[in-house]
Amino acid sequence: MLRELLNSIDTRVGYRALLAPIRRRVLPDGPRWGYATAATLLWMLAVEVVTGLLLMTVYSPSLTTAWASVHYIEQLPGGAFIRGLHYFASQAIIVLFALHLVRVLLSGAFRAPRELIWITGLILLPLTIAWAVTGNPLSGSQKAYAQIEVEGNIIASTPLIGPLARTVLLGGKQVGHLTLTHLNFLHVALIPLLAGMFLALHIQQIYKHGASAYPTNGKKKKSAPYWPFQSIRNLSVFAVAFGIVALAAWHYGAPLEAPADPEFHNIPRPEWYFLSLFELRAYFSGPNEYIATVVVPTVALLVLLGMPLIDRVCPPRLSTAIRFFTVFGGLLAIGGLTGMSVQRDMHSEEFQAAKHEEQSLARRAHVLAVAKGIPPEGPISLLRNDPKTQGPILFERHCAACHSHTDADGKGIAAEESTAPNLHGFATRAWLAGWFDAEKIKSTEYFGGTEFAEGEMVGFVDDTLTDLDEDDQQALANLITALSAKAELPGQKASDEQAAEKGEIKAGIAALLETFSCIDCHKYGDDDPEAGAPDLTGYGSRDWLIGMIRDPAHSRFYGENNDRMPSFAPDRVNRENNQLDDRSLALIADWLRGDWYEPLGEATDQPHE
Amino acid sequence: MNRRSLLRWICRAIASVSAAVVAVPAVRFLLHPLLRRQKNDAIVRRLAPLDDLPVGKPQSFPILGTRQDAWTTYEEEVLGRVWIVRRSNSETSPEQAQVEAFTAICPHLGCAIDWDKAHDHFLCPCHRAVFDSNGQPAADADLGYKNPTPRGMDALECRVVQDAETETWWVEVEFQRFEFGLTTQQALT
Ligand code: FES
Repeated sequence: MLRELLNSIDTRVGYRALLAPIRRRVLPDGPRWGYATAATLLWMLAVEVVTGLLLMTVYSPSLTTAWASVHYIEQLPGGAFIRGLHYFASQAIIVLFALHLVRVLLSGAFRAPRELIWITGLILLPLTIAWAVTGNPLSGSQKAYAQIEVEGNIIASTPLIGPLARTVLLGGKQVGHLTLTHLNFLHVALIPLLAGMFLALHIQQIYKHGASAYPTNGKKKKSAPYWPFQSIRNLSVFAVAFGIVALAAWHYGAPLEAPADPEFHNIPRPEWYFLSLFELRAYFSGPNEYIATVVVPTVALLVLLGMPLIDRVCPPRLSTAIRFFTVFGGLLAIGGLTGMSVQRDMHSEEFQAAKHEEQSLARRAHVLAVAKGIPPEGPISLLRNDPKTQGPILFERHCAACHSHTDADGKGIAAEESTAPNLHGFATRAWLAGWFDAEKIKSTEYFGGTEFAEGEMVGFVDDTLTDLDEDDQQALANLITALSAKAELPGQKASDEQAAEKGEIKAGIAALLETFSCIDCHKYGDDDPEAGAPDLTGYGSRDWLIGMIRDPAHSRFYGENNDRMPSFAPDRVNRENNQLDDRSLALIADWLRGDWYEPLGEATDQPHE
Repeated sequence: MNRRSLLRWICRAIASVSAAVVAVPAVRFLLHPLLRRQKNDAIVRRLAPLDDLPVGKPQSFPILGTRQDAWTTYEEEVLGRVWIVRRSNSETSPEQAQVEAFTAICPHLGCAIDWDKAHDHFLCPCHRAVFDSNGQPAADADLGYKNPTPRGMDALECRVVQDAETETWWVEVEFQRFEFGLTTQQALT
């Protein structure tokens, strides 16, 4: 039945005659394991094509959409696995390519009349690498961005045409939308077309000249049909390789770093197969760099291309020696350089710290993207508008000259010179309690480093609060609770509500107004005392804190009594006169108040808990 | 010329003209990044009041501006960073104050240069180029490896100006980008 159907199709299509060379292929010296590298490469390429086509159905190249679409792929059913397959199979191809090359080189399979097989194969080498290199940055991640920048600059270091080539490739002077559309075009269109052409030629030539002969030591080997005797060997090797790829894809998946943001610090490293060149580059600097990045690889490729010629002019012994030397010298050099580079990074604290940082940014970006979705302006805004991410950076840049932000163990951001209060746990009960402790308020954790060390507040704490009776102690505790509740810290929400139920807040406000009469100096509500001490209305709230950073010398805060704190954004009209823009102000305030998104059920590292 | 070769020539001509109709715009289309005139005019920005700058400690400031990326316009983007070093203390009058500015873009390959507090020098994390506090490249002998940078940090035009209204003295910088990899500082064209 089936046979008849196929017969009738064949009479019309003639597919059997077309496939005959494949179906009837005979290996004169029988099958070999060594031949399997070729077919394994081909199957792995098939995996790449299939997974690549699948990824194309979702991927969208542009700076605002690349990361977002890849992140989306990761969330789709099977998406992470398919992307993982694509990622690891590409690396498998590079390994297999190297094996294949070594095998062919050592067996001398490039000899006449097979030169064309050799040459087309070698052209496929840079094409394959370019294929991988154009694929990696498509994710639009931080690492991708850094890699493109560096690779672009490497291209630019080529004498004469370098800078022009870079501009054309990047679509401008800097990485942008066009960089991604260009890379995408190369990765999914141009390079596959070229590679396909050379591959077709390569395979056509193999069929024309037959499988390469191996020395048989005089023994006559039996010939065997390719199918299934060689095929079983090919597929066994492929099964192992693909098994590893699939396992890695399942277990690790392809990495997705944080979305690209030139504002973030990044120590770029190329993919592992480029580390050797990267290392080599460290030894040539400035205008000589192209020696490592352009000359060395080109010379290596030319030497390989010239192998058939070398083989023809040199005596057989010498030629064999050259080939072995090329293979093992090459492997040794690549291995050694790669090892050195890895070694260096492993021992570099700075690199490890940066890597750690990169991973936590990636995790954070993922958390935010899942929780809030990615806004139309692109994933870059996820971390840019995240107080947890930006807070420490801004704090370090603008506040840490004087303020520390360190917990009890001294961990966190230490001030260059601690001359202002430590802001860790700002407005929490524990932090506020320190202001009413005669010892603490005089320490550099609070007012110790400021003019106020001799000020009225310290005097008040010294005189009035040092020995309180039990009632007053309770009143003070309530005052602290009440004041802290005014800040409406998200981390204290539950305990603030409890305190309100127990009436502690009301009692605390009464203590503030009457028992301790804070309003003699501080404003609260409508009262307006003369002394310039900060307003306690809404103390520590977002609005209060932003106002404080904006202009501590405003009459609402320290007024004329302000010590050294600069006004970061006093000018509400001409905003360009301000050191800090409104967004940064809000980010710092939110961060100090521990006000940022954390997924439920996960341990938070908010300072208040 | 016989009939046959005439026909051949006509075929060739039609093919060539058709090919050219596609090829010429194709080349222009592909190379448009080269044809597009990009301006690299210096961006003048007031970065900080002079009094807010500590003496001798480099401070980093972002340069904000509008950036066009193909079809997207980014307002208020960070175009780059600059390091400002105030050399003279408050005893010098603002008119004579010495302030220097460097772009944070590494002349090697363009990573962002950092100030390494612990060692009192500038450090580019990418390939570990090191510059002293004057922006000069550190000697290979002192580093124990080859300093990858081809030149010192790129200095930016920088002056102290007084605001007409508030009378505060501000540090003003002309931000520009420069070619990478050259031994001399050349504005990007
Ligand atoms: S980019 Fe700065 S050292 Fe290479």
